[in-house]
Amino acid sequence: MHLDEERLQRLLHDELSAAARRDAHEHLAQCDACRERLVVAGRDEGEIFALLRRVDHPLPPVQAEGLVARARGFGLVWGRWAAGILLVLGVAGAAYAVPGSPVRQWIRAAAAWIAPEDRASPTPRQAEAPTARAAGIAAVPGRTYAIAFQSAQPGGQVRVSLTEGREVTVRAPAGAARFTSAEDRLLIDNQGPGATFDIEIPRTAPWVEIRLVGKRIFLKQGERVAAAQSADEKGKYVIGLD
Amino acid sequence: MDAPEAAPFHDGFVALFDVHFPRLYRYLDRLSGEPDLAADVAQEAFVKLYRRGAMPDSPEAWLISVALNLFRNARSSRSRRGRLLTQVRSEGVLADPPPSPDQAVLTEESRLRVRRAIDRLPERERRLLLLRAEGYSYRDMAIALELNESSVGTLLARARQAFRECYEDPDAP
Repeated sequence: MHLDEERLQRLLHDELSAAARRDAHEHLAQCDACRERLVVAGRDEGEIFALLRRVDHPLPPVQAEGLVARARGFGLVWGRWAAGILLVLGVAGAAYAVPGSPVRQWIRAAAAWIAPEDRASPTPRQAEAPTARAAGIAAVPGRTYAIAFQSAQPGGQVRVSLTEGREVTVRAPAGAARFTSAEDRLLIDNQGPGATFDIEIPRTAPWVEIRLVGKRIFLKQGERVAAAQSADEKGKYVIGLD
Repeated sequence: MDAPEAAPFHDGFVALFDVHFPRLYRYLDRLSGEPDLAADVAQEAFVKLYRRGAMPDSPEAWLISVALNLFRNARSSRSRRGRLLTQVRSEGVLADPPPSPDQAVLTEESRLRVRRAIDRLPERERRLLLLRAEGYSYRDMAIALELNESSVGTLLARARQAFRECYEDPDAP
């Protein structure tokens, strides 16, 4: 009786017990077919593993001690932050409760500054995206989506077009930028010399705005578009970042 | 972690990292085709292990399980928050002279063909084959992928066969 597939594979991978391995070798000594199967299986696996190496990327330069420091630092750093936040909240709460306290006005002013329009401030759940090798970012817009350039860039420009796709995409074919993406907004840290950004917005997106240092330069609301520059002959809005 | 009894754990962690970080990274890199994500997830899995403060019964299987969960969460979260549009590029691991344009095209085609074959494999076969390619034991693979250990060899043979079919007939549905 020939070796079954499980035993053959286990023999190939040295996963048999000593007794089972001895039995298997005794069988192989008198069975040309199983010897051939073992050789073919080993050769096949070697070829496949060599193919798999073709998609490998270089190992990142990570040290164990770096991860240990990260693991140790987390509790300490967050513990301090938590204590600090609790302290600030406690003091602020006490100040807010005092009749006639200016803290109430400060909070209203801060809220108006954060959300200058009627829309509620979105929850700042952010994920920072490293961009050393990134050409851009894409996200599916929800009910509202805001794209904010954090700096003016003399000579820089943003080219906005409406597409049939379902994602908002932002690419930086010229210049460098750092993107911080949340569910309803995208912050673009575009410091440095002039750059070009290509932004595609789905026609189906209900509400998308683009701001430059807090000032709105583009708004798509339903089918209506309001922009700092009118569309060119190709339907593209080219707006300066200075 | 500064207590004297923590020293063996720390030393064990460093030893485990030296051997298994490259394997885990390569596994995740091949699984996803995204080296940055693979590096992040592999590191986070080791950070979680250190914070655990004690070695699990099967550290390698534990790391794979944790990494696969992190990997799934990262992809799910990123699909909600936005995905990076990265430029496709191939990287040379060794400092060989740059290939000729024709050779570079062939290399890239070959890489893409392997990539497509990996991506077309059913999830279980893909994970199993890639784990075995990194030399993980049957026991670790069975624990990490929640398989019956007694059938891992047979499943591996099927995974290799499936990869062959995907690789040799790239146009098949």
